[in-house]
Amino acid sequence: MAQHTLEVIVENSPGVLARVAGLFSRRAYNIERLSVGPTDNPETSKMDIVVNLDGHALEQVIAQLDKLINVIAIKEIVPNTAQPIVHDTQPDYQN
Amino acid sequence: MSQMNGASSLVASLEAAGVDVMFGIPGGAILPAYDPIFSSSIRHILVRHEQGAGHAATGYAQVTGRVGVCIATSGPGATNLVTPLADAAMDSVPVVAITGQVPSVAIGTDAFQEADIRGITMPFAKHNYLVTDPADIPRAIAEAFHIASTGRPGPVLVDIAKDALQKMTEFAYPSSVSLKGYKPKLAPDAQSIIDAADLITQSSKPVFYVGGGVIKANASRELLELAQLLGAPVVTTLMARGAFPDSHPLNLGMPGMHGTVAAVTALQKSDLLITLGARFDDRVTGKLSTFAVNAKVIHADVDPAEIGKNRFADVAVLGDLKHSIAALIPAVKAALAKNRPDLTAWLRQMNSLKATYPLGYDVPKDGSLAPQYVIERLGKISGPETIFAAGVGQHQMWASQFVSYENPRTWLNSGGLGTMGYAVPAAMGAKVGAPDSTVWAIDGDGCFQMTNQELTTCALNNIPIKVAIINNESLGMVRQWQTLFYEGRYSNTSLESKRIPNFPMLAEAMGCVGLSCDRPEDVDATIEKAMSINDQPVVVDFRVARDAMVWPMVAAGASNDDILIARETAPDWDSQEL
Repeated sequence: MAQHTLEVIVENSPGVLARVAGLFSRRAYNIERLSVGPTDNPETSKMDIVVNLDGHALEQVIAQLDKLINVIAIKEIVPNTAQPIVHDTQPDYQN
Repeated sequence: MSQMNGASSLVASLEAAGVDVMFGIPGGAILPAYDPIFSSSIRHILVRHEQGAGHAATGYAQVTGRVGVCIATSGPGATNLVTPLADAAMDSVPVVAITGQVPSVAIGTDAFQEADIRGITMPFAKHNYLVTDPADIPRAIAEAFHIASTGRPGPVLVDIAKDALQKMTEFAYPSSVSLKGYKPKLAPDAQSIIDAADLITQSSKPVFYVGGGVIKANASRELLELAQLLGAPVVTTLMARGAFPDSHPLNLGMPGMHGTVAAVTALQKSDLLITLGARFDDRVTGKLSTFAVNAKVIHADVDPAEIGKNRFADVAVLGDLKHSIAALIPAVKAALAKNRPDLTAWLRQMNSLKATYPLGYDVPKDGSLAPQYVIERLGKISGPETIFAAGVGQHQMWASQFVSYENPRTWLNSGGLGTMGYAVPAAMGAKVGAPDSTVWAIDGDGCFQMTNQELTTCALNNIPIKVAIINNESLGMVRQWQTLFYEGRYSNTSLESKRIPNFPMLAEAMGCVGLSCDRPEDVDATIEKAMSINDQPVVVDFRVARDAMVWPMVAAGASNDDILIARETAPDWDSQEL
């Protein structure tokens, strides 16, 4: 199984780390590595999450992460490529 | 803007959110809020246990389509809401829970009645808040109602520290809510509709696999039009009973562990599952690797995380089902005009199964009362406008099987979490939401003993629900499994509830009318008597045969191919052309 790095932009509000960590634990996925840091925008933080997941399981983790209200955007960083895969499953509000 | 304390700001926010009723119990930390509630236009119903408040909010929401609201104090008040909130999450019910929290300076000190309810509810609540600044109250409430009621509905908890309720603040309710990380999709992509219509015209064995999402999206009318347009059979899951009329010739009934042979087989033998607001739950699919192995899948849902979660979707239609089905109708019409597959053989097979294996039951030879007969008569006598709420267990399955549901939002049950004790408080909430409808709780004797205290609430607040206790003096479903899988060793499933408690007396003690019935010939008259009483709650103790079992059955973890219509009796597949 290959390691994948997810770059997750979250709202900079209390409890967000617990939400993300809790999601991994209750859906029975492991976090290999995790770092949290600021972004240029003081209202958001960036989490880099390294997971040992592929294919379907990876897609599910991304989809479930995206359901968290405080998660704004998820990018999958692919090694040796310039372009990240942007998982934008939250299109604009449509009526 | 006006100056007021946080408590008044909370109540003004709830009023601005359109709340007309809430269910709750006061206590220390939430006490400041109960002062403005006293003079508010919102009807507050004082329940007897916070779990009752939560299920009542759920019942109200299920029947009205609006957000149900419950309110409790910190610590035990809040933890008592955990079960109904988990229940609402599993069944996608829009509920907002307000809890008081200890003062912000005391948070984290193990103060009296302190519990981290935000942390506790984090794994299942759609979202939650801890508010310590009174200025944040209106925004938290507005966001909570927005999140609970849009997208895939769910429970949202707002925990408010006592000092935030006491401090002065400016009240201003936000005119709109915009959340960076939450933008549920309404209209599906045009290409997904074209792809779905394309798959539909290539299928000779399509089936509509309809879940509770159709009811949540108020899309029953659109579903009826689409189903009739294609002329394909329809199965309605436990959460979708009433989404499509049971009397419709295309309806094969409920699939799953206790589904009809026709509905289970339709999914198994299909070449295309047109999945609408369903989530491939294990109780529907049975052993997943053997589920509908030859079927392609169209999966229409509002929740992106459901697509491909349990079963690969060949075409995903992401959006609100009302929009998605409405978009499918003209697309399928146009596609069928070019290429209409012949479904005659498929429909003939399914109708043959439906006719050969209708739902049925054995009448006890000793003249005692069949539980299925009681439930069948309840459905017939009270009619299709009646709202039914069930607990969890055998009576729930029979209530799903033997009542004919013709309308959405007339069948309430705890499908996902399987919460025993759901029926009485949910029926209470349903009756508050639909005061002109007859509301029957069909409950088990085990379930009833978990939450019947809310009948006192009903009696005192003019909420005249009716309760049919299907009293088999057992934890019946567990007993059934002990019969089938544990050699009849009935460990701790005998409740002896034909001896103690005396249910009619218990009902009378709580201000209800208590009736009892144990003979088949008295069932109709007893139901009619209960139907004639509308100024008080009524409880009927139907004392039924103990050994009745729920059939058909696909054993847990087994393949749907191994459905049994009775103990050790499989359908006669050789006589069916499939």
